[in-house]
Amino acid sequence: MDGITFELLGLQLFTGLALGAIYVLLAVGLSLIFGMLTVVNFAHGAFFMVGAYAGFSVYRVLPNFWVCLVFVPLATGTLGMLAERVLVRPLYGRGLDYPLLLTFGLAYVMVELVRIGFGKQGFPFDTPALLQGSADIGVGQFPLYRLFVIGVTALVLGGLWFFIEKTSFGLIVRAGARDPHIVRILGIDVGRVWLLVFGLGTGIAGLGGFLAAPMQGISPEMGAPVLIVAFVVTVVGGMGSLVGAVAAGLLVGVVESLAVLFFPEAAKVSMFVIMALVLLVRPQGLFGRAGLMN
Amino acid sequence: MNTSVLAMPARHPAAIIALLAHHRVLATIGVLLVFPWLMPNPSVASTILIYAVFALGFNFLFGYMGMLSFGHAAFLGVGGYTAGILIAHFQLRWWLAIPAAVVLAALVALAIGVLAIRTRGIYFAMVTLALSQCVYFAVYQLPLSGGENGLRGVNLDQVGPAALHISLLDPHTKYYFFLCFAALAFGLVSRFLASPFGGVVEAVRENESRVRACGFDVERTKLLAFVLSGAICGLAGALSAIHLSSVAIESLNYETSGLVVMICLLGGMGTFFGPFVGALLFLLVQDLFSLWTEHWQLYVGVVFMGFVLFFPKGVWGTLLEKCNVQ
Amino acid sequence: MSNDIILRTEALTRRFGPFLALNDVSIDFERGKLTSIIGPNGAGKSTFFNVLSGSFPPSSGKVIFRGKDISGARSHEFAHLGIAKSFQITNVFPQFSALENVRVPLQAPLARFDIWSRRSALDLDAKAQALLALVGLAAHSARRACELAHGQQRALEIAIALATDPQLLLMDEPTAGMSPEETRSMMDLIVRLASERTVILVEHKMKMVMGISDHIVVLHHGELLAVGTPDQIRANDLVKRVYLGHH
Repeated sequence: MDGITFELLGLQLFTGLALGAIYVLLAVGLSLIFGMLTVVNFAHGAFFMVGAYAGFSVYRVLPNFWVCLVFVPLATGTLGMLAERVLVRPLYGRGLDYPLLLTFGLAYVMVELVRIGFGKQGFPFDTPALLQGSADIGVGQFPLYRLFVIGVTALVLGGLWFFIEKTSFGLIVRAGARDPHIVRILGIDVGRVWLLVFGLGTGIAGLGGFLAAPMQGISPEMGAPVLIVAFVVTVVGGMGSLVGAVAAGLLVGVVESLAVLFFPEAAKVSMFVIMALVLLVRPQGLFGRAGLMN
Repeated sequence: MNTSVLAMPARHPAAIIALLAHHRVLATIGVLLVFPWLMPNPSVASTILIYAVFALGFNFLFGYMGMLSFGHAAFLGVGGYTAGILIAHFQLRWWLAIPAAVVLAALVALAIGVLAIRTRGIYFAMVTLALSQCVYFAVYQLPLSGGENGLRGVNLDQVGPAALHISLLDPHTKYYFFLCFAALAFGLVSRFLASPFGGVVEAVRENESRVRACGFDVERTKLLAFVLSGAICGLAGALSAIHLSSVAIESLNYETSGLVVMICLLGGMGTFFGPFVGALLFLLVQDLFSLWTEHWQLYVGVVFMGFVLFFPKGVWGTLLEKCNVQ
Repeated sequence: MSNDIILRTEALTRRFGPFLALNDVSIDFERGKLTSIIGPNGAGKSTFFNVLSGSFPPSSGKVIFRGKDISGARSHEFAHLGIAKSFQITNVFPQFSALENVRVPLQAPLARFDIWSRRSALDLDAKAQALLALVGLAAHSARRACELAHGQQRALEIAIALATDPQLLLMDEPTAGMSPEETRSMMDLIVRLASERTVILVEHKMKMVMGISDHIVVLHHGELLAVGTPDQIRANDLVKRVYLGHH
């Protein structure tokens, strides 16, 4: 335990926040889609991966990071909307499992297509020049890019909060999350709402993938481990709760990073321990509503 | 079960299928006895048989009880590694190693089940996935498991008294050795399904809250079904370890869990022959497609999506429906 | 508790967040009688029914059945206590035949985790047929529940509830969505059932329950407004004001 200074702890905490930020982006998208459509999107990791590859492809042609940053969520979101409209929507009446199974198959296909198009190996992705280097955050030097990731996530969350709390569309999302039947009865074109929510969720996932690319490179398999984390975070935070997704995402990220300092072998398992504890003590998640999905 | 179809003349295809469905265990064993002669080679037949047992265990939980688990690879893997480690590192006899594998898989299923069943339906798939991933990491770290390279040297060359010369080096003998266990598994599952417990299991799939109102402890019922399902998948894992003389770490991962889901859906969930049909189809398709193109997984994925959208009952289930058998 | 009172609620209260659905409701239900719970929409009838039948526990107060406090009992224990309920929204096993539907609850008293005996060897079919005959579905025993008409499904509902041989039968709006003819048959059935056991009924079709009930309980805004025989309730000024105010 020697060598663990306050500064090291602080730096690791920030690493955890950066890691957690990516987890939050994924979990928020997943929760949105579930809250509104009652679909557990097993393709969420695949959209994460496609976002990374989409950004990578555009970057090769047009090396402007900021353009890619805007393009990626739009592209992945559009793909998501297409998938919802054509593949997922026909299955809504059939019970909870079918849309889930379909998204699982979709993920399978998406990964294979990327393997065919880009090869199985994967690529590294360099941090854009402007964001290289580090900044002094008080407890030491911390990579600028990771601060950027935390910042972008905060921005996205802020925008999402504004959208959901303050706009009329957001009101529908909230109402729909409370009771899907009411939304239908009110005569609102629910189809359009589903489309946009699915696109929003997958778009955010794609953005997460692109943001993660400089930190871990890109590979066709990068979606699977991240999907699992997204599930753990969602279970810990509470399905359908955006606040829960944020809190749990950051918690999982921070705990994982701190565990690397103290119990390195257990770091990977730490999030499952958290999940197990939550399941034992409060099965609906930290911010979930009891009795949701009876 | 609807038996009116049995009254039809025996040559009518629907009647034959109904007859098969009525005497399902015998029919299954009958088909399985001749199976290796229908396949390109008995080793492929063994692989399909083992996948069929894996799918049988999963189908009991998913098809009959309606609980979608994405973590069943944990039971396959635990069964495989247990039998493998006991045979390879401790030279334990197979008739101790295989039951030990089944018991350990059942215990892991109990542990995972206790946590996963506390949650409501929609969480179940996610929690089982996450917990099986935890098992993956745990086994990966275990020194005896061989980590990334998996477990090698699970050599079982001879079974039974030496005088009988039952050598597992002969692929045909090996198949029939596995068949003994598979037949046991099919027989047990059939018995479970025909028992009062089996009735409650299917009722829970149809209407869980009603079952609770009738006075059944649904949580305990689910847990028991989960443990039985895990035990059978553990058996499949043990057999796989002996078949391949090794256990790959991939047998514990997400893809393996997804594989058995696909097999069950393709074959026909909630039907007795479905798992076998699914295993057969999947492995045949894999063999066939991989001859034309290295991207066979793409086509399998597309076929799977097609089934989810248009043929959710799977091949055998749709066939049964067309012939109007319950 | 006197032998005549089979069910009692004491200061029963139920909150959903800030919303007070039931407030300090204390009622005695007499054994062997048919008691109907009525009240305008939003009176708390469904909440009261759900607490009585174990769907969720009360926020405070007690439910006492045959002298025992059952306030926290879990949903599946109710059948063993001798209380059965039929649901407001038809809640059967859709793909099972009517016979199979009724057979499920008949297994409850047996070894519940029996994974070995053969189901067909148990002598449940005769009992199942008898129950179907009781509710008038004897001719439809082989048909799948999802293929039955609405009124028949409601009858099947009741058959399933009766299978556990309850002393107390709780029914939540049993005639919901029924034609006048189906309603009449259902009412006849309920009267027949009430002759052998205690029945507590939640309904909003006032005229109908007035004719068949021994006692009436009127709820309003989650509170107990009045209790009495149908004649007493008809004469009650408070009840008249509440209902006239709403119609």
